[in-house]
Parts: sequence; C-alpha cells; structure tokens
Amino acid sequence: MMAGPDGHVPDSAETEASLLARAQAGDVAAFGRLSGAYADRLYMLLVRLLGDRAEAEDVAQEVMLRAWRGITRFRGQSSYFTWLYRIAVNEANRALDKRARRPAGVSIGAPELELPAAPEEEPSRQAENSELRRALNQALAGLPPPLRTAIVLRDVEGLSTREAAEIAGVGQAAFKSRLHQARLRVRAAVGDEALVSSGG
Amino acid sequence: MGMIGRAGDHEWSQRRLSHYVEGELRPRARRRLTRHARGCVDCGRGIRAMRALVYALQGLDGLAGVRAPATIFDRVRLAGPGGSASPLNT
Repeated sequence: MMAGPDGHVPDSAETEASLLARAQAGDVAAFGRLSGAYADRLYMLLVRLLGDRAEAEDVAQEVMLRAWRGITRFRGQSSYFTWLYRIAVNEANRALDKRARRPAGVSIGAPELELPAAPEEEPSRQAENSELRRALNQALAGLPPPLRTAIVLRDVEGLSTREAAEIAGVGQAAFKSRLHQARLRVRAAVGDEALVSSGG
Repeated sequence: MGMIGRAGDHEWSQRRLSHYVEGELRPRARRRLTRHARGCVDCGRGIRAMRALVYALQGLDGLAGVRAPATIFDRVRLAGPGGSASPLNT
C-alpha cells in the first residue's frame, strides 16, 4: 500500500466507505488514501496492458486524475476497485489507440514485462520458468488489446468473469469469447510442449 | 489423433478446451468432450496444455517488488482540492 498525495499512509481504522465519503466531499488526502491502496496493483495492470513502464506511469497519473475528477459520480454500483480498474482499462485502450496511430516501428516492448523469478525456486526450475514467463509475456504482448485485457484480467489478475467483464466494459458472454480466443492464441504461441513440461 | 465417437467430435472438442478447463460446459457437453479426449491424444494433450497455461498465467501475477511510482498522484496534487479538477468544481 502506498502513501496518498499528502504522503499519509492509511490506517486500518479508515474504512473505504468513510474515505470515499470524504473524497466525494473534496478531501484530496482521503482520495489519495482510498486510491493509494490499489496503486501498486493498478500500475502493474497498466504495465501488462501497455508493455511499457514509462507509458504505464503516465497513464497511471491520468487514471488517478480522472478518478479524482469523477469521484462525485461514483455511486457505489460496483466496488471502488472495479470502478478504478475500469478507468484504467479505458485509459490504457486510449493510449493504445494513440500508439496505433503513430508511425510503425513502436513495439509493445515485452521485455518490460519481465519479473524476477520467485527466490525459493531451484535454479533449473527458475531457468525453465523464466523461459516460460518470457514466452507468455511475448504472447500476451502480441494479442490484440481486447483479448489481452480479457486474459490479463481473468487469468493473470485472477478476477471473476463477472468482475472482469464489468471492468472490460462488455457483457459476460462477449468477455468469455474474448478470453477463450486469447487462451487459444497464447497456447499456440507458447506451444503445448513448453506448457505441459512446465508442470502446471 | 483418435476419432472415436461422433464425426466432428475432434474439431468440436478443440474449440471447447478453454471452456472445458473453465468448467463452463454443460454436463452433456462435458461428458462428450471427456469421452472424446480419452481416445484422442491431441485433445488429451490440449486439456493438459490449457490447464498448464491458466496455471502459468496465474503465476505471472507476482507484484514481485513492482511498486507504483511515487509520481502517480502528481496530477491530482496539481489539481488540488481547490483546483479546476476538484470534484467540487466539476
């Protein structure tokens, strides 16, 4: 959990509901504490969707600004987390649209998605998993944005289909269709042998 | 590949491996795919690969020391409670 705009780290006694009420009344510090609880996860989502940390940082700032500007319109029909993630996915899509209009040659930048292997893994297993992670990240980066969003929200983030569909802004049937297409493409890109031998 | 069962079972099964792993198939469809996969090397391996894929993707979800940059609230700070971006002024 990170500090909000005022540098204050939230304490557990502050409930999300009370922070939200204060934020909606214009308390920027309360907004920071409310949103700061999700900042790391939101940033990581943006890195995965955009494949570029610098761009993810820029978009994350925009997401927070849009959330702050729109906080009075949040009516609690979904969780605050879902609402914030929805803004993040919309902003990521906007950034990807902008990127698509740029001259060719700007890549997704899959190496940015590399994460260190878990330290408890044996070296041989680390190498194998590192290879698999690289292949998975490349395959994810190569997906069209709607498919990438679906598989990242459902499989990587572990959200329920209902929540992930809501964040992606589509119905559950459409979301499932995207998810299954994405899995088929990633499976084809990585290869069955690499997947099955990973011991998953 | 083994083509045991109804004609077209293989193509039908291949298109539903993700649904199968997700547990989304109705009981009758699930039984059909299970029966086919018992005799089909491709589909049996496909199920294992799809399960391994979902498992591996779940393993990518380590924040693993990745933290949001300290700048994440910079634009909110600039907008401030009395700024044009304040919810009180929108």
